Amino acid sequence: MEALLHGFAVTLSLDNLFYCFVGVFLGTVVGILPGLGPLTTIAILLPITFKMDVTSAIIMLSGIYYGVAYGGTVTSVLMRIPGEASSVVTCLDGYEMARKGRAGAALGIAGFGSFFAGTVGVIGISFLSPPLAKLVLAFGPAEYAMLMLAGLTMVTYMSSGSLPRALLMAAFGLLLGTVGSDPLNMTPRLTFGILALGDGVNLVPLAIGLFGLSEVLFMARQRPEDMKILPPPSRVLGFLPSRDEAKRSVGPVARGTVMGFLVGLLPGGGAVLASFLSYGIERKLSKHPEEFGKGAVEGVAGPESANNAGTAGAFVPLLCMGIPANAVTALLLGAFIIHGVVPGPTILERQPEVFWGVVASMYIGNVMLLVLNLPLIGLFVRILEIPRAYLTPMILAVCLIGVYSSSGNPADVLIAVIFGFVGYGLRRYGFDLGIVILAYVLGPIFERSVRQALAISDGDPSIFLHSYLSTGFAIVAAALLIAGLWPKKKARPA
Amino acid sequence: MSRLSGTRLATLGLLAAALVGLWQSLRLDSWGFDGPGPGFFPTLVAGICVALAVVVFFFPGRAGVTEEGDTDDVPKDASAGTGNAFAIYVVSFGLLALGTAFAGFFVTTVAVTVLIMRFAERRSWVAAVTYGVACAAIGLVCFGWLLRVDLPEGPIERAFYTLVR
Repeated sequence: MEALLHGFAVTLSLDNLFYCFVGVFLGTVVGILPGLGPLTTIAILLPITFKMDVTSAIIMLSGIYYGVAYGGTVTSVLMRIPGEASSVVTCLDGYEMARKGRAGAALGIAGFGSFFAGTVGVIGISFLSPPLAKLVLAFGPAEYAMLMLAGLTMVTYMSSGSLPRALLMAAFGLLLGTVGSDPLNMTPRLTFGILALGDGVNLVPLAIGLFGLSEVLFMARQRPEDMKILPPPSRVLGFLPSRDEAKRSVGPVARGTVMGFLVGLLPGGGAVLASFLSYGIERKLSKHPEEFGKGAVEGVAGPESANNAGTAGAFVPLLCMGIPANAVTALLLGAFIIHGVVPGPTILERQPEVFWGVVASMYIGNVMLLVLNLPLIGLFVRILEIPRAYLTPMILAVCLIGVYSSSGNPADVLIAVIFGFVGYGLRRYGFDLGIVILAYVLGPIFERSVRQALAISDGDPSIFLHSYLSTGFAIVAAALLIAGLWPKKKARPA
Repeated sequence: MSRLSGTRLATLGLLAAALVGLWQSLRLDSWGFDGPGPGFFPTLVAGICVALAVVVFFFPGRAGVTEEGDTDDVPKDASAGTGNAFAIYVVSFGLLALGTAFAGFFVTTVAVTVLIMRFAERRSWVAAVTYGVACAAIGLVCFGWLLRVDLPEGPIERAFYTLVR
């Protein structure tokens, strides 16, 4: 408790409050804009944080991540366009509620549910992280290697495409992570004698290329369409749900919060999976399943709470174990490392101000998001009216600034452009790029653990099965691989 | 080009990259006196990548909904008639990389913006040039001067920094 209060003292400084506000504001805006996800935004803004204080930088980047889950709801409800993937489910019933004149209630329930789930999620982080960090201290290289293998396998299993495709993306990401100097003895690898590759493929050009520049190419393929925007209520009171709607939302919000947080803890989990699972559960539990898809309030309350709780839950493995649960937290892990913070069990002892500062900022950020998301929604929706002709040059200029400022090397811009085309090609044909980034960030840690374990055992691979923990992780990985190859039906977005 | 052949083309690209990676990593030491060498992990990963690429090439499987926030599923009719615009966007990427190396931030931003707005989006010359100059000036002042972010330098940036710093 004392540590958390110290975190509040850190967050309540004027600088950190400002950056927390900037983060959640940008997150909301990005969530509203279809096409621009948190991954692109964090990738673009990462270099700009290099000269900032480390705590402020992490507070701002985290704010973008959890702010997106709020903003994504707006376009889902008003336009049937998900601002980001975890809001896809909200389109189904949120838009139908809006068509029935209940747009305000849908946005209000989503806002309050998100606030409740986000706050409970942060409380979960506060109390679960310290004991988990102590447990992780018992891990050796073999346990870490198997944990990462299980995590990567779980992420590929959760991917919406076929398992071989997802595994191919993971292997491609790991391969990209090996370019540059060997992490143990600095031998140059896979550089083809190109000096610019001596430090490897940097995270910033890779992420901006795969997500930012490829997104511009996707925009270029689309014909400007007339989008029908249903107007949100003009008064704050217009966002209040009726008594019946509020009563029906209590259960879904509570269930979505608990389930979302637990799913968020899993590698490969997070907001998207949590929202889909919550929708399925609410539909099963509902006394009126026939209303789902036609404006059921439970279909908005449950998934919207679950995606926010899932976002919070994903911070636990990131902060305590240094293991990202999804692509966005992988990028956040990269940001931590670039700023000299090593997430993991020792963060609580070595840099408590960063850890507790970030956790406390989430409490404050959630309040800011509630205030931002209700009265200012009408204003945010106007962003959607910016024509592509003006939006894309602006995005390209920001991408250029982001890539160049990360290293001051023009070659990185060329690398970003190349990965822009690679990203476009892979996305176009249904390859999940999130896995590439996740594997790229995990790759060097995974490699170090594997090599250290094999060096300890003098090359005997059975070291990976010596302890109960590592054996357990290996069994999980094997089970997921087998389950992934089994023919199955998966829920698809509408 | 059908979706299937596109998937296979993308997979072939990945296979080529993995084969090059495998070829390079096989030239490194896989094992040393103190355990696994620098070539151990890249060889292992590149080998797996090659094997998986071959599997996906022959059995492409189900396409995935890709990462958060993307707009993948462009219906065929929605992208009809956008070929020219797309080609100009592709050219603008090349201009971005070249301009960064030789012309500096201001000129590159103006050139890319004019190329996109005038030729891909069919806006007037005045609108394109004005918006390009505005974007470049805002970037230079806000990021280059006030936030002291490193920007690609050309004659305009150097002259500006001499004036304000």
